[in-house]
Amino acid sequence: MFSKILIANRGEIALRVQRACHQLGIASVVAYSEADRDSRAVQLADEAVCIGPAESRRSYLSAPALLSAALVSGCDAIHPGYGFLSEDDTFAEMTRAHGLTFIGPPPEVLERFASKAGTRTLLGKHGLPIIPGSGMLRDDAQALAEAERIGYPVLIKPSAGGGGKGMRMVRSPRELQQAMTICRSEAMAAFHDDSLYLEKWLEDNRHVEVQVIVDRYGNGVHVGERDCSVQRRHQKIVEEGRSPAMTDAQREALCDAAIKAVVVAGYENLGTLEFLLDRAGNFFFIEINCRIQVEHPVTEMLSGMDLVTEQIRIASGEPLGYGQDAISLRGHAIEFRINAEDTAHDFRPQAGVVERYLPPGGPGVRVDSHLYSGYEVPPYYDSMLGKLIVWGSDRNEAIARSREALDELVLEGLVTNLPLHRALLDHPTFLSGEFTTNLLDRVGSAAFLNAANAAAA
Amino acid sequence: MADENDQLEDAVQARATIARLTEEVLPALIERLSASDLGELEVRENGWRIRLRRPHADGTPSDAPSSQRQPHPVMAAGLGGPAPGTGAPRDALRGLVSSPAVGYFAPRAGVEVGAKLISGDLVGYVDVLGVRHEVVSPVAGALRSFEVESGQAVEYGQAIARVEAEA
Repeated sequence: MFSKILIANRGEIALRVQRACHQLGIASVVAYSEADRDSRAVQLADEAVCIGPAESRRSYLSAPALLSAALVSGCDAIHPGYGFLSEDDTFAEMTRAHGLTFIGPPPEVLERFASKAGTRTLLGKHGLPIIPGSGMLRDDAQALAEAERIGYPVLIKPSAGGGGKGMRMVRSPRELQQAMTICRSEAMAAFHDDSLYLEKWLEDNRHVEVQVIVDRYGNGVHVGERDCSVQRRHQKIVEEGRSPAMTDAQREALCDAAIKAVVVAGYENLGTLEFLLDRAGNFFFIEINCRIQVEHPVTEMLSGMDLVTEQIRIASGEPLGYGQDAISLRGHAIEFRINAEDTAHDFRPQAGVVERYLPPGGPGVRVDSHLYSGYEVPPYYDSMLGKLIVWGSDRNEAIARSREALDELVLEGLVTNLPLHRALLDHPTFLSGEFTTNLLDRVGSAAFLNAANAAAA
Repeated sequence: MADENDQLEDAVQARATIARLTEEVLPALIERLSASDLGELEVRENGWRIRLRRPHADGTPSDAPSSQRQPHPVMAAGLGGPAPGTGAPRDALRGLVSSPAVGYFAPRAGVEVGAKLISGDLVGYVDVLGVRHEVVSPVAGALRSFEVESGQAVEYGQAIARVEAEA
């Protein structure tokens, strides 16, 4: 096991990893940028090292700064969290070259799964139905030809990263040509990589993903699925488990196929396989995320497992130590991403001082957040302020508890998306479990908010 | 005389703030704006304000008439001088030589306490994974003290030395 871990991230996930380290009795060092000097993770840290200025390129995205911080503080492993360098095979390789362990898949595994097109082909060979798509696009002419072959509508996606950046759905060659330029510049700005590919767009699809854990000896389990169909511009807002849209038999088929394919394909560590589910219940593999995910607490609430400690344990070389029989999922869990953004004004991100913050409580309620009263949210990073995760013995109980928790939560000083979450819990489409990924964008979030408010009144 | 000194210090402080805004804050904001689908981003902090605006496809800012074409992104910084209560480290910051990176510090051979330095003079290096990053004096003056020893681990922004600025 490791003796000291560098936490190479910020916000709520830095806190989450820190908690896991404390629990395992492993010392930890928080790497932070100048803008995060007053962060909760730094306040609670055994040790903290300032690695650079606010600009993430010179701090959280700087491999030399992070590695140097790990070495001067005597760490033997680095936890990258999510985002930033969490899926960067070059960073993982550099980490190893300096005698440290990257807590995630080893570099050669990251490299094998780095190309989304390559991963689809690989896992398709091992039995997963895959979404029709293109390889990496050389130019617009190739994009047009590929789109013609796949058939419109198609989704333009960046090869690197996630979070909806650089993604556009297009219905015609004309739209495709216009969107390619925008997607390229967005992808370049977000991931320093402007390579794009195409994917067939399924109308009214749902987004369902499977959590897997695989050790380096080829032992693997799945920990069920999460449904992330409530999205805005391809960005997840609410995630829940189990999926309200699937039968037990469908779930079993999906999770079984996913774990079998990744084990055979040589995956290692924690991972999430993302699928699109069509109306008829057919599922299509789209991509794999080789990291801990924002929505991992949904699975933790259902399974009673601690996925971050499992991730650390497996990265240190320990065998999994249990089989699929040991995993049992109980009840229903919903996660709400609390973002500092103005829903009524095109989700404009907000920065400023949190004047008052009081998290909710009660049975089944968990809040993963780095907020405190008086904390100043810096304007340089992601707008996520934390996550509210609520468990109930069934979906109805989880929804009832969620309403109560959202009503209790006090967060003053910043505009947040809490009203959208509250409205969602009274919306018939959400209540019936029939949300599709394009619903919020199609209706328009402001209109959605108004309609839900009217329905609730 | 005291007034003149204060004015000078204010000017130095303002220049330091502008330097910090352009070198650190602005690139971060540009990155943030480019990665989003927003048209505009504004930040306020202690008497200054930065607003970035993304050009439309035709090169005009979202809310400006087309006759006012401007290169973008636009920086509109309102510098109202240091806000009350934030001026405390002013003297301390002047003449403070800080670390440009996280790593191990090594002084430059021959640089000793009492040495006369001009602004930009090399005081030593911070070794980051075998790559030397220069540590330079921000002002002209005499080297008053080293705050860290040779071979010591330093973090970004850590005080490495103090320089008695020339009057």
